[in-house]
Amino acid sequence: MKKVAIVGAGQSRYGEFPEKGIKELFFEAYSDMSKSVDKNFDPKAIEAAYIGNLGSGGFQLGNMSALVAEYVGLSYIPTMRIENACASGGYALVAAIMDVLSGTHKVALAGGVEKMTDVSGLKQKYWLGVSGDTEYERLAGTTFAGLYALIAHRHMHEFGTKREQLSMVAVKNHKNGAQNPKAQFQREITLEQAVKSPIVAYPLNLFDCCSTTDGASAVLVCDEEVAKKYTDTPIYVAGFGTSSDYLAIHDRVNTTTLEGTRKASERAYSMAGLGPNDIQAAEVHDCFTIAELLAYEDLGFCKKGEAGKFLEEGHTQIGGDKPVNASGGLKSKGHPIGSTGTGQAYEMFNQLRGTVQKPARQVKGAEIGLIHNVGGSGGTVEVTIMRR
Amino acid sequence: MAHVSIPMYWRTIPQRYSLVGYKCKKCGSVNFPPKGVCKYCSASSEFEEVKLSGRGKVHTFVLISAGGAPPEFAEQEKAGGQYPVAIVQLEEGPKVIGQIADINPKDVKIDMPVTTELRKIYTEEGVIRYGFKFVPAGK
Repeated sequence: MKKVAIVGAGQSRYGEFPEKGIKELFFEAYSDMSKSVDKNFDPKAIEAAYIGNLGSGGFQLGNMSALVAEYVGLSYIPTMRIENACASGGYALVAAIMDVLSGTHKVALAGGVEKMTDVSGLKQKYWLGVSGDTEYERLAGTTFAGLYALIAHRHMHEFGTKREQLSMVAVKNHKNGAQNPKAQFQREITLEQAVKSPIVAYPLNLFDCCSTTDGASAVLVCDEEVAKKYTDTPIYVAGFGTSSDYLAIHDRVNTTTLEGTRKASERAYSMAGLGPNDIQAAEVHDCFTIAELLAYEDLGFCKKGEAGKFLEEGHTQIGGDKPVNASGGLKSKGHPIGSTGTGQAYEMFNQLRGTVQKPARQVKGAEIGLIHNVGGSGGTVEVTIMRR
Repeated sequence: MAHVSIPMYWRTIPQRYSLVGYKCKKCGSVNFPPKGVCKYCSASSEFEEVKLSGRGKVHTFVLISAGGAPPEFAEQEKAGGQYPVAIVQLEEGPKVIGQIADINPKDVKIDMPVTTELRKIYTEEGVIRYGFKFVPAGK
């Protein structure tokens, strides 16, 4: 099979930027991407663009991919907005990969952008509820915190997972994010702070939840034939997989497994000819702390039910044998919905090339990495395996 | 907006008022809420309507606190404090989601038996929305 390479990746700062809209945020990411291409970067070589986005803060719901593309100088090329809730960016990446694999184009841009802080907190919750099961879950009085809390509570009941272990995910990811100059929250937190933060949806408290974030990211995907024109160290796409699942948790056979993650990762591992043991660094979708623990299990890093212990034993710290979310994860880096998937690709591109901004965050010697992006409470999932 | 519009709500009244389930004519499993194609056998889209008992056990639950409630439920949280939402495993097989009423949130337990009752859910667009809530069994 043809090989696909990533030769450039960029990310805007993640955070709250009243002075920037989706166009400006995307331009920041695109410029950063263009500077990351070692040689011969040429905007005219970009033949298509796939942009992950959920709602643009309600500002540009239609035709937003054409808008952000023309703003950065990419006119008259095919552009497409990809919407799969919080997995929009991951699916945009896969769309660009499939485009190049098909032979339709040699160079394609995958990106994502979200503007979340233009609207009030109240409207925010209206808007963010749209990716779960509106008819039943919403009418029972839940938002996403409530849905992930239902999963967390059952996980605690079935496997003895401790509330403190949820907080330990937050502590780890904030420690990593403190070393990420592009993260929304660049500060460490203590276990005590995390455990004692106000309850949002028991068993989840404030520090179990990621925030709302403005941000964008962009990744340059190309055919391996042309990759060396742009860099001597391309990062290759070893495999990818995606899967849907029932939107409503009550429709799922198993409450404590994201079947979408299992299916998507099985497909990615199979395409890459690799398994969970081969993964040396991972960026997983920790929109809530329980989601990171589910990812350890459903990606096959540890056995079902043992994620809490796996975390406590330090495997997923930087320096452990399976470092997860060295970027700070969604928890500390921020979660600008449409950008999160391609933002993970940006981090992994740099991890595998040894070019993250601060040495404390670098996973030393990593050659094979996995990224994992989840939409809603698991209704859509994307997994991509990258290798040096 | 994630609000449930009046027509959208109206379309689900048989489920909300009377817990109407849809028994697959091919495999006999009960789908609730309804699906176009049976989610258990994926081989039939013919169903017989059956009324569910509403009896079941709490499979998992959450206590929604300030900040965790959708705007249309914020008033309920403000007036009454945190409220429990559960996924309940019904006797007939399906799992359903709903609030638990008539109980101190601190007393809700996984595996506790519940029944369902028709209750007011909330008011939106000037219309009171009714639907099922769970209550402790034997009360």
